[in-house]
Amino acid sequence: MNTIDTQQFRNMFLCGADNLSSNKAWINELNVFPVPDGDTGTNMTMTVMSAVHEVANLGSTDDMHAICKAISSGSLRGARGNSGVILSQLFRGFCKIVRDRSEIDVPLCAAAMDKAVETAYKAVMKPKEGTILTVARGAAEKARELADQGVTDFDDFLPAVLSHTGEVLASTPDLLPVLKQAGVVDSGGQGLVQVLKGAYEGYQGKTADLARMLNPAAKEDETDEDAKEDELRKLKYGYCLSFFVDLEGQFNPKTEADVKKYMETIGDHLVCVRTDNTLHVQVYTNDPGLVLQKALMYGQLRGIRIANLRLGEEHEDLAEAAQPADSSAGASEGAADGTSAPSEGHKEMAIIAVAAGEGLSGIFRGLGVDHVISGGQTMNPSTEDILNAVDETDADTIFVLPNNKNIIMAANQAAALSDQKKVIVIPTKNVPQGITATINFMPDLDPDVNEKTMEEEISRVKSAEVTYAVRDTIIDDVTIHAGNMMAIGDSGILYVGEDRNATALEALKKMVDDTTELVSIYYGADTTEEDANALLGQAKAAFPNCDVELQNGGQPVYYYMLSAE
Amino acid sequence: MGKVGIVTDSGSGIILPEAKEMGIGFVSIPFMFGDGEETFFEDINLTRAEFFQRLADGQTVHTSQPSPVDVLKVWDKCLETYDELVYIPMSSGLSGSCQSAVMLSSDYDGRVQVVNNQRISVTQRRSVEDALALAAKGWSAKQIKDKLEEVKFDSSIYIMLDTLTYLKRGGRITPAAAAIGSLLRLKPVLQIQGDKLDAFSKARTLQQGKNTMITAMKSDFEKRFNNEPMHLYCVQAECPEPFAAWKQEMTSAFPGVTIEDDKLPCVICCHIGPGALAIAASKVIPETA
Repeated sequence: MNTIDTQQFRNMFLCGADNLSSNKAWINELNVFPVPDGDTGTNMTMTVMSAVHEVANLGSTDDMHAICKAISSGSLRGARGNSGVILSQLFRGFCKIVRDRSEIDVPLCAAAMDKAVETAYKAVMKPKEGTILTVARGAAEKARELADQGVTDFDDFLPAVLSHTGEVLASTPDLLPVLKQAGVVDSGGQGLVQVLKGAYEGYQGKTADLARMLNPAAKEDETDEDAKEDELRKLKYGYCLSFFVDLEGQFNPKTEADVKKYMETIGDHLVCVRTDNTLHVQVYTNDPGLVLQKALMYGQLRGIRIANLRLGEEHEDLAEAAQPADSSAGASEGAADGTSAPSEGHKEMAIIAVAAGEGLSGIFRGLGVDHVISGGQTMNPSTEDILNAVDETDADTIFVLPNNKNIIMAANQAAALSDQKKVIVIPTKNVPQGITATINFMPDLDPDVNEKTMEEEISRVKSAEVTYAVRDTIIDDVTIHAGNMMAIGDSGILYVGEDRNATALEALKKMVDDTTELVSIYYGADTTEEDANALLGQAKAAFPNCDVELQNGGQPVYYYMLSAE
Repeated sequence: MGKVGIVTDSGSGIILPEAKEMGIGFVSIPFMFGDGEETFFEDINLTRAEFFQRLADGQTVHTSQPSPVDVLKVWDKCLETYDELVYIPMSSGLSGSCQSAVMLSSDYDGRVQVVNNQRISVTQRRSVEDALALAAKGWSAKQIKDKLEEVKFDSSIYIMLDTLTYLKRGGRITPAAAAIGSLLRLKPVLQIQGDKLDAFSKARTLQQGKNTMITAMKSDFEKRFNNEPMHLYCVQAECPEPFAAWKQEMTSAFPGVTIEDDKLPCVICCHIGPGALAIAASKVIPETA
C-alpha cells in the first residue's frame, strides 16, 4: 500500500493508543528507581487516552485536520509525566505535517516523523540520550533513510522502521548507564515502541475497539495478561470476601500494617481502607473464616459479603475502584476532588503548588499558597490539571511549584498554553524545595525578582526521600534488594539500609555540613509518629549545631522527606 | 529668623548621653514589665542589657506614650535656649505620642513644629540628623518640618526576627504576626515603610532571611529611590556575632556605599525580641550637604 487515508490513520492512532494502554503495567515496571510507584506506562497511557477521547468526540469523520487537532490538543492537555509530555510533543509535531493532507505517503510520513522529533527535542531543555527522545529519533532517521532510498510501499516501510526502533530501544542501556546497571531499557522509549507497534497492527487490519477503550466499565486497560492473572487468581483463591469493621480501641498505622500483612499470607487482591473508625476490607481468599476471625480482634463486623469466584458469583471489585490510575476519566476526577478551592479576590501574584498528603497540603496553604493541586510521585497531575488550577486562580502572574521532577515538564507545557495569565514555573524537584520557594516569596516585589530569588534559594536546599525498593537492582553502583530502604538524594542514591530511621539518619549525615542551619523531616502516611519522634531525637543528637524540625507530611510512598538548608 | 532647636524621643534609638552630645532635647519613652507598676526608662533606670535579660526571662513589656508633662518639660527647657523647635517623635502609625504632641504644640503659636514623618528607629534618627543640618543652614522650624514630611517615604527598613515568639507575645503588631501564621517554624521578615510595620516575607534560615533583606533593599534602591544617593545602615538587636557577618554581607552586596552601624531601639525590641538583624536606608536630602 502506498498511501494511508484518514480512516486508516485514525485507526492506526487508536490501535497505537490501545497497545500502549495494554502494556502499561509492564512499562511501569521498567522504572530505574525501584520505587513503589513506577508510573511511566500510566502517565503515557493517560496522555494518549486524553487524545483518544478527543478523537472519539469527533465521531466518524474523514476530516484529517480535525483528527490531527484532536490528537494534538488532547495529548497536549492530558500530558502527564516527562515521557507523557514528550509523547504529546511527538504527536503534535507529526500532526503538524500531515494535517492538511487527506492521504499520507511514505515521504510525507518521514517528514512528519522528522518534525515530531524536532518538536519533542525543542520541548526538552536538556535533551538526554538513551531516552524516548533517542528512540523517536532512531525511528525518524530510519524513516528518512527508507524514504530517501525510494521506498514507497508502507508494507516495506513500516516493519523496517519498527524493527529498527526496537533495536534503538535495546541500545538505550548503552547510552544511559543507570539503565544498564538497573538492567532495563528506557521505559518511555518502550512506551513509544508500543505505540508504533499498535499502529502497525492497525495498518495490518486490526480495528481499534473504541467503545471498549472508552468504557471504563469494560475495563479498558485490562490486558490479556491481567485477564489471565485474574483467571489464575480465581483458581488460586475461591472466595471474594468483603466486610466492614467498626474499630474499637487502639488501631494505629502499625496495627493496620499488621492486619494487611496477615491477610496477605492467606489471600491476595487485598484492599484495606480506613476512614475514621471504620475499616473496609476486601480480600480474595480460601479461608474467609480466618480473615473474619482476625478482623474480630479489632471490632464489630458488619456488611459481610462472600462471593464464590469459581462459580462466577458477582462481586464489586474494590481493587479496581481503588486505583484511580486505571481510568483516565476517574483519575482526573480524583485529582480535581483533591484540589483545594481557589482563594477569593484578585491578586497580582499567586502560587500554585503540587502536593500529596494532607499534612503537606496544609503546610503549603499555611505558607500562603493559593491553590494546592493534589498529586506527586504517585499521581502526576496533567498539563490540563495544572491549567485548570491556573484558570481558577485569580492573579496576573502565577508561580507554579511542581515539587517533583516528573511534573516540571507538564507544568512548563501548561505555562506555554496559558495565554491569559503569565505562568512562571519554578522548577522545584521535590517538596522541601517547594516549601523553600514558597517561604522566600515576597508579595511586594516584582515577579522577575521573585522568580530569581526562588530559583536561587531552591538551589541551596539539599533534600532526600526515603522509601522502599520494590525489586532488586543496581543504581549508582549500589546493590539494592527488594524491600531495602533507600534514601534518594538530589543526585542519586544516598544510602541503602534495612531500617527506615537508620537510612534516613545516614542520608542526613551526608546532607548536613558546616553551613547547615536547619534540618527538616516530613514523615509520611506510612510512618508512625512514634518512629518519627525517634528519628527527631537521633537527628538532634547527631546535629547539635542545627535546628531540627519534624512535621507530619502525610505523603504516600515516602516514609520521610528530608531537607538540610 | 531665630535659632532652631531639635527634640526627639527614644524611638529614634538615640540615648540620653548621645542626645546631650548632639545638643538636642530628648524625651524617653517609658516601659513597664508584666503587670508591674514601676516605670522604666532606657539608660536612665534600666540598662539595655537589663532590658534584654528581662525579655529573655519571659517578662512581657509594655510601652506607653511619654507623659505630656515630660514632653512639655523638655520643650520648655529647649525654648529657653532656642526661639523655636522641631519635635520629631516616633511614627504616628505605631504610637499616639505624635498625635498628642501635635495637640500640645497648638499652645505654642507655631514655635513648636511637630514632624509627622512616620519614621522610627534608624530612619527617625536620620531625620534628627537631617534636621540638625538644616537648622545649622538657617532653616526655620516650619521649613524643616515641611521638608522632613515631604521626604517621609524616602526611607525603608527590613527587619528579620530570630523568632515569632515576641511578636506573638506583644499585642501591638499582631496583624503582622497573624500574616505569618504557619505550621513551620519561621523567621519573619518585617518591613517598615511609612507608618506600617508589616510582614514582608519569611525565611527558614538566617541566611535566607539575610538574602531576602538584601534583595528587598536592592529593589528599593532601584525602583523606589531611583538609584539616588542613600544613607545605608546595618542594624542589630543584641546579636554581635551574626551582626559582624551581616555587615560583611551588606558590604559586598552594596559595594561603594558607606554603611553605618546602628541598634534597634528598645521600643521596637520589646515587640520583636533579641537576635533581630535589620537593614535600613534613607535618601540623602541634598540641602543638608
